[in-house]
Order: sequence, then C-alpha cells, then structure tokens
Amino acid sequence: MSAGITEARADAPVVRKVPRGRTRVIGVIMVVIGLFTLVAFGLNTSSKAHSALTFSPVDIISNAPWHLGTLTLLTLWTNVVLGLVMTAIGIEVLWRQPRRGVMGRFGLVSVLFLLALLFWAVRTPGPSQVSFIDLTSILVGSSEVTMVLIFGSLSGVMCERAGVVNIAIEGQFIAGAFVGAMVASTTNNYFYAAIGGLVAGGIIGWILAFLAVRYLSDQIIVGVVLVTMLSSLSSYLNLQIFTPYPNLNTGNVLGNFAIPLLDKIPIIGPVFFNQSAFFYLMLLLIGAVSFALFKTRYGLHVRAVGEHPHAAATVGINVARVRYINVVLGGAIAGVGGVAFISQQGQFQPGITSGLGYIALAAMIFGRWRPSGAVVACVLFGMSVYLADNLQTYNIPISTEILTMFPYIITIFVVSGLVGRVRAPAADGQPYLAG
Amino acid sequence: MRLELRGITKRFGSFTANDSISITVEPGQIHCLLGENGAGKSTLMNVLFGLLHPEEGEVLIDGEVTKFADSGEAVRRGIGMVHQHFMLVPVFSVAENVVLGFEPTKSFDRVDYKRATEEIRRISKEFSLEVDPDAIVENLPIGLQQRVEILKALSHDAELLILDEPTAVLTPQEIDALMSIMRSLAASGKSILFISHKLKEVKAISDVITVIRQGKVVGTAEPTASEKELASLMVGREVILTVEKTPSTPGANVLEIRDLVVHDDRGLIAVNGVSLDVRAGEILALAGVQGNGQTELVEAITGLRRVESGTVTLKGRDVTNVTPRQALDAGIGHIPEDRQRFGLVLSMSLADNLVLNTPKRAPFAKHGTRNLRAIDQNARDRVEDFDIRATSIREPVSSLSGGNQQKVIVARELSRTLQVLIASQPTRGLDVGSIEYVHHQIVQQRNEGNGSLIVSSELDEVMALGDRIAVMFAGKISGIVDPSVSRQAIGLLMAGETNLEHV
Repeated sequence: MSAGITEARADAPVVRKVPRGRTRVIGVIMVVIGLFTLVAFGLNTSSKAHSALTFSPVDIISNAPWHLGTLTLLTLWTNVVLGLVMTAIGIEVLWRQPRRGVMGRFGLVSVLFLLALLFWAVRTPGPSQVSFIDLTSILVGSSEVTMVLIFGSLSGVMCERAGVVNIAIEGQFIAGAFVGAMVASTTNNYFYAAIGGLVAGGIIGWILAFLAVRYLSDQIIVGVVLVTMLSSLSSYLNLQIFTPYPNLNTGNVLGNFAIPLLDKIPIIGPVFFNQSAFFYLMLLLIGAVSFALFKTRYGLHVRAVGEHPHAAATVGINVARVRYINVVLGGAIAGVGGVAFISQQGQFQPGITSGLGYIALAAMIFGRWRPSGAVVACVLFGMSVYLADNLQTYNIPISTEILTMFPYIITIFVVSGLVGRVRAPAADGQPYLAG
Repeated sequence: MRLELRGITKRFGSFTANDSISITVEPGQIHCLLGENGAGKSTLMNVLFGLLHPEEGEVLIDGEVTKFADSGEAVRRGIGMVHQHFMLVPVFSVAENVVLGFEPTKSFDRVDYKRATEEIRRISKEFSLEVDPDAIVENLPIGLQQRVEILKALSHDAELLILDEPTAVLTPQEIDALMSIMRSLAASGKSILFISHKLKEVKAISDVITVIRQGKVVGTAEPTASEKELASLMVGREVILTVEKTPSTPGANVLEIRDLVVHDDRGLIAVNGVSLDVRAGEILALAGVQGNGQTELVEAITGLRRVESGTVTLKGRDVTNVTPRQALDAGIGHIPEDRQRFGLVLSMSLADNLVLNTPKRAPFAKHGTRNLRAIDQNARDRVEDFDIRATSIREPVSSLSGGNQQKVIVARELSRTLQVLIASQPTRGLDVGSIEYVHHQIVQQRNEGNGSLIVSSELDEVMALGDRIAVMFAGKISGIVDPSVSRQAIGLLMAGETNLEHV
C-alpha cells in the first residue's frame, strides 16, 4: 500500500464527550433554579418565618424508642443558603465543565429544590411548631410509591439491557394489579396474589417479546398498544366482574412486617425495616438484578445482546432466546410491582396506576439503564409523586399538577443530553434479524 | 488445520451466490480469496462460519466432513473470523469482548475476569499482539480494535482465521502491522483465509490466490502474477489500471478558498487557514491521511458546516457560509464521503434519488407537485447513460451494490451544469470495475471544463487523477505538487514535512 503515508491522528484515542455547549446550558439552568430558590423561597419570606423539621414520625412516636427532637430553622436564611449552594453548583458546572458527575450534581440540585420548597411551604410566622416537616414520615409515606416505581424500572432495565424497549410497564402494572386484587381477595393470601401478578405480567411481557423478537415489530408501538388495550380491558373487566361480585375485590391491605431490633433504628428503622413483604422482596430484587446483569455470564450475554446482537450471535449466543427470557422476566417483575401496589391500595380501580409505569421508565432513563441509578431516581420521583398526592397534608400552597410534572420535567432535561451522556444500550429498540 | 471446501453451492431464491466452489487451505498457508464486491466472497465465508447453510457441497476439516449448526460450533471446531465490520461490543472492555460466549466462570455463574485477563495476557504475549485487556474497545483506534478481533479468534483456539476485507478501514501503517501479524500467525502454523479485492495487498501477503467471479471460482494464481492479470481475472475483461487522461488545460480560477478556518464537531480547529485555488478544466487532488481536516473542509465548501473565518468564492461570487441548497444552486456538485449516510436516501427509489438535488426544479416539479413522468424519464436516461445496474428504477437504492449506488450519485451530480465538482473518497469500497468507471467520469467532466476538487486518502487514486496534488496535514496545506513527484515525497508531505529539499 501507499508506503509514504504516515499516520497523523489515527493513533489518538477517540475521545467522545458531551458537547461543551450542553454542559454550559445545564449549568445555566442550575444557576437559574438556584437563584429562583434564593429569591422565591428565601428572600421572599418574612425574616421572622420559621420552618420546623423533625425526624420523629407522628404515628409511631408513641412506641418509637427514640426521639430526635425538632430542628427549627429560619426559613429565609435556610433557603438563601440552599439557593446559594444550588447556584454555586451551577456556577461550578459552568466554570469547570466537568465531563463526569454532572448527572449527580443535577440530582442533588433537584433534591435541594424539593427541600427548599418544603421549608417554604411549612413556614410559620414565628418559632412555633404548629406545622413542621416530618422527614421520616415523608420517607415512609413515599416508600410505597417508590417501591412500585422500583419494580417498574427494574423491569425496564431487564428488557432494555437486552435491547427491547418496554414502554408497556404501565400495562404490566395494570395486569398485575388486576389479577393481584382478584387472587388476594379469593385466597386472602398475598403470596398467591404475587404469583398471579407474576404470571400476568410475564404474559404481557411474552406478548411484547413475541411481537418484537419474532415479528420484528416496532417495540414502542407494541408497548403503547398494550398499555391502551390493558387499561380498557381492565375497565371492562372491572365493570363485568368486580362490580357485580364485590367480594372478588375486597381490598384487604397487606400489613407491615417489622424486623425485630432493626426497626428500632432511628429514621432507617421505619423506612427500611418496618415494611411489607413486597418491600423486602424489592430490596432483594435490586441486588439480584444488579448482580445478574453485571457479574454473571448470563448478564454479560444480555448486555452484549442489547449492545451489539450480531456480535453476540457470532459467538454462539442465542439473541432471540436471551430477549425472550429477559422480557418475560421483566414483565413478571412489573406484574409483581402491580400486586405490590394493590397490597398497599387495597382495591383495584380502573386507572389506579395513573401513569406510574411511565414514571418508572423515566426513572430508568435518569438512572442510565443501571439498577442502582434507577433506584436513586425512583426515590426522587417517588417523593415528588407522594408530595403531589399529599399536598394538603403538608399544607403546600401550590397546585398538584406542578409537582406531578416534576419527574417528567427532570426526565426531559436528562434525555435531552444536557445533564451528561445518557446512552441507551446501542441496540435498544432495534429488532434483530439474523444473518 | 487443513480446510477443504467441496462444491459449495448457496442460493438465495433464484440467485446463486456460490456456485459449486471448491477451495483447499493448507496448514500455515495464507490463502487469498480475490473477487469484486458481490462476487460471493462474504457469502462463502458465512457458509464456512456456520452463519449460512449451503444447499450443496461439504466442508472438510483435516479430511473429515463437518457441518456447523451455528457459528458457535464453527468456533469450537477451530475456525475464527475477523469480520469486516468488527463484531465487538464498543462499550465493553477488551477482556469482556474476548471472553464473550466462552467465559470462564466462578460460583453463581459469575464471570472470572481475573482468569480471563490472565488468559488474554498470555495469548497477547504468545502472538505479540499487545493490547490492554482493561481498555474499553470504543476508545481504541481502529487498528487496535482489529487486533482485539484477532485476539478473540485466537483465544478460542482458532486454527484457521478468516479475515474478511480486513484492510478496508485501516491506515497504511495499520495495514503494514496487520500484514506482519498475519505472517507470524502463518509461521506458527495457523491457516489464514484472506478476503480482499485490493490487488497490491493480495500480491504482498498471499501464498495462493483463488479468484472468484459471480459466485464461481474462475482461476487460481500465484502471488507473482501481475496486477493486470489478477484484475482481468477478477473482472472478467481487460482492465486499465491507470487513468487515461490528457494533460489538463487549466483556465481561470473557479473556486477560490482563502484562509479558511473551520471547527470540527468537538469545537476544535480542524481546518486551519487553508487557501486553495481550483481552476477550470483541472483536477486538484487533495491527499492526506484521513482526519486531517479534509472532511471539514469539504463540508464547509458545500454549506454543511459553518465557516469560522476566511472566504469561499465561486467564480467571483462569495459563497462563504451559504446553505447547502444555495451551494447546489450555485453549481457546486458534491459526491460525499459516506454515500449511504449523506449521498442517498437508501429506502427511496432509484428514480427519486436521482432527483434529490433538484426536487423543486422544472421539469421535475410543476405547480408544487412532483412530475412523476419527468422523474421516471430522467431515471431511465441516467440508468442508460451511466450504466447503472438495477432491476427497476422503482427499486430502493439500498438493494443496489455499492458500485451501483455510487454510480447513482455520480449520475445525479454530473448530469446538471456544474462549476465545480467536490468529490470525497469517490471510490472507497468500490471494486476495480466501478473505480475505473468513476475515474473515467471524473476525467470526462474535467475535460468539459469543470473544476474538480477530489479528496482521497488513497495515494494511488490521488496520483492517478490529480493534475495538481495538494496535501493536507493537521488542518493545513503542507504542499502543492505536480503528480510527477515521487510517492515518497507525497508521503512526507502527508506526514507534515513541508521542506522537500532533501528528497
């Protein structure tokens, strides 16, 4: 070949990074959020206003062996400081334009924003303790919806890591919730209900896999169709079955199971160790999915199939089989999530899942297709969903809809690539045709 | 390993891709399979690798008839394949890629990366293929990625390596490195089946050459055969390897580029103050190793990339930072570097692709609607004039061969009145016959008085086509020379040397 040519830049490693402009944009956004917090939630409040913060849950205060007292803060200065911290983080991002960790900083700013909002909402004109934020009960209260979200996003991780977009998480929730309610009512046993939900969600997963893998259908369209169909079907069946036979939808709520001693730990105890069986199952599942995906041989195959199915096929991995298995398992996990939801809500009602499946999907994206990241995102989103549903309780004078939008607004920032490199598995959503 | 293919026939519907092909590869031999694109080389390799199943014929390994249900089985029987498009997961580490599908495991199905890494280091050492097992594949240069592919095959104890067009993506230095790897592998007893259509390489590396054409073996040759003999065997007729052209009679400057500065995608300076003149009736060939700013320069001229400073003037008219539409209308013809991504809309028909650059113009559009009759007539004429091989003008261009796809672009760009033609890598990935054809067309339009700027990283092409040769290095023009200078001299310019006194 051409003998005289010497390579110039061919040897330099390929460096890919987020275009600097985008990092700048997110820096500006964080500065704006910070300044907004500073002014609206800080300077805007009376200098005498106080916000009280406690960690002792009201409902278990009587038998809790611990009491952490109440922290009373001057709303103005607390929020000014929070706002300044957020602004500083934004300026730091603007200034240094770090390549990594922008996502984490953005998450932190989001959490600080929620906190500042809470402080502002519960402020009282003087240092009385009439209204206060009880962080522990917010954590406990939101853990219910967070748990359901985590089931959903683990389902998403399972499917998308294998290259199948599971936008039907919502549908699997519905199927699981419906079947779960029915089985729980007839057997009075949530173990059987969980099995029922597992099968129901698995079947929906199988339909998705069948159409996506066998018939190479557009996975997003199939997913949307499944959700629409299941939400109508569940309304219809609700009318046909649950309305005439209310004893099939009795709505018994699964009680909590406190783990001795551990549940007495301040804050952590009520949040982690006085929960329902489904919560403990979820904790196990987080570990199991992470381990399976990132440590095992099977997980390596799954990720290879999601990134480069042809490469996987050339080393003898059966792409179709891996996708079938993962999507069915993913569907089953979301199905159990639906049962978990019912175990807290009691009765099934049409529309009960109210878009949680989509928030779970968003959390999975925010979590960069990793179980650990998804869990953090679910906690954040779960809290905002919980607060949106319980604004009255916390006396927050803003409309529900604003808070309901919160997870989606954050997701838009995340998927726009402003926050850092969010990269889906390369073959995510792409049908694989052998040959 | 001694591999024998006996009478392999593979059909796709009525099309016979492989017609009773028989080949024998001896242990330690580098056996080259030479053929044009579409001759059936890749099909044959996929049959051998268990990805496709032949209708007739058998595969013998060391004299024993063997059938592979899938490629995993082929791998277990000692066949390793280095694919043209690497079968590597970009986000995985080298170690993960190498062990994929054959992972050493610990308890609970865990992958034993420690053992994997040790194994890779051992094989690296044994065959002197150095690569860091922990590096992420996408961060490695192409040449090293290919090394990982080879390593992967060797780690599965491959005795026969299939290399499918391995040089297509490599720089000349990487090609040299690959060839020495191939030689040392053969010396250690591995058999190598090397697929290529590049005559120089084939002659340089092979022990035996088998030529296939239209699915059949048309002959075997010794590496001592001349390039001309090999080419005519491959194409099936006499091939002129040099471009026939008369000396140019350059006129006035058509395209004047002054102190052009252009950034790349990362915002770094890619074109750093380039000035060039392209004259009427002249081909200015722009040589250089890929990645020295040629792509950005072409994009800036054609309106696809913003010019930071400097000017582009077309026949006295300022066309700096015009839109692509305005650039086309001003008479700039563009044959883009990546024909499938930028030159064609693959899912659209041949006829539609032929009017992509003039969709709003009469006669192809009337009163805001498309004039299908004129579009079809145009397509039939172009197919005829430019010898585009297609079953129908309604056929999506994706179903055409690479050579014919390029002909579609050439036909589209050259069938309107141009001032200047900008062509990037106009013959990349094409077979000898198509290269000959594209070169002929480029010379033809030069003779008609157009100015041409031809960007190529193939030195042969630059020297064959250029009336003048400009060499680009690190965003600057390192020299403009006459095509009569030596290859070495141009090579030095490509390396950034600007002082040619001592050559």
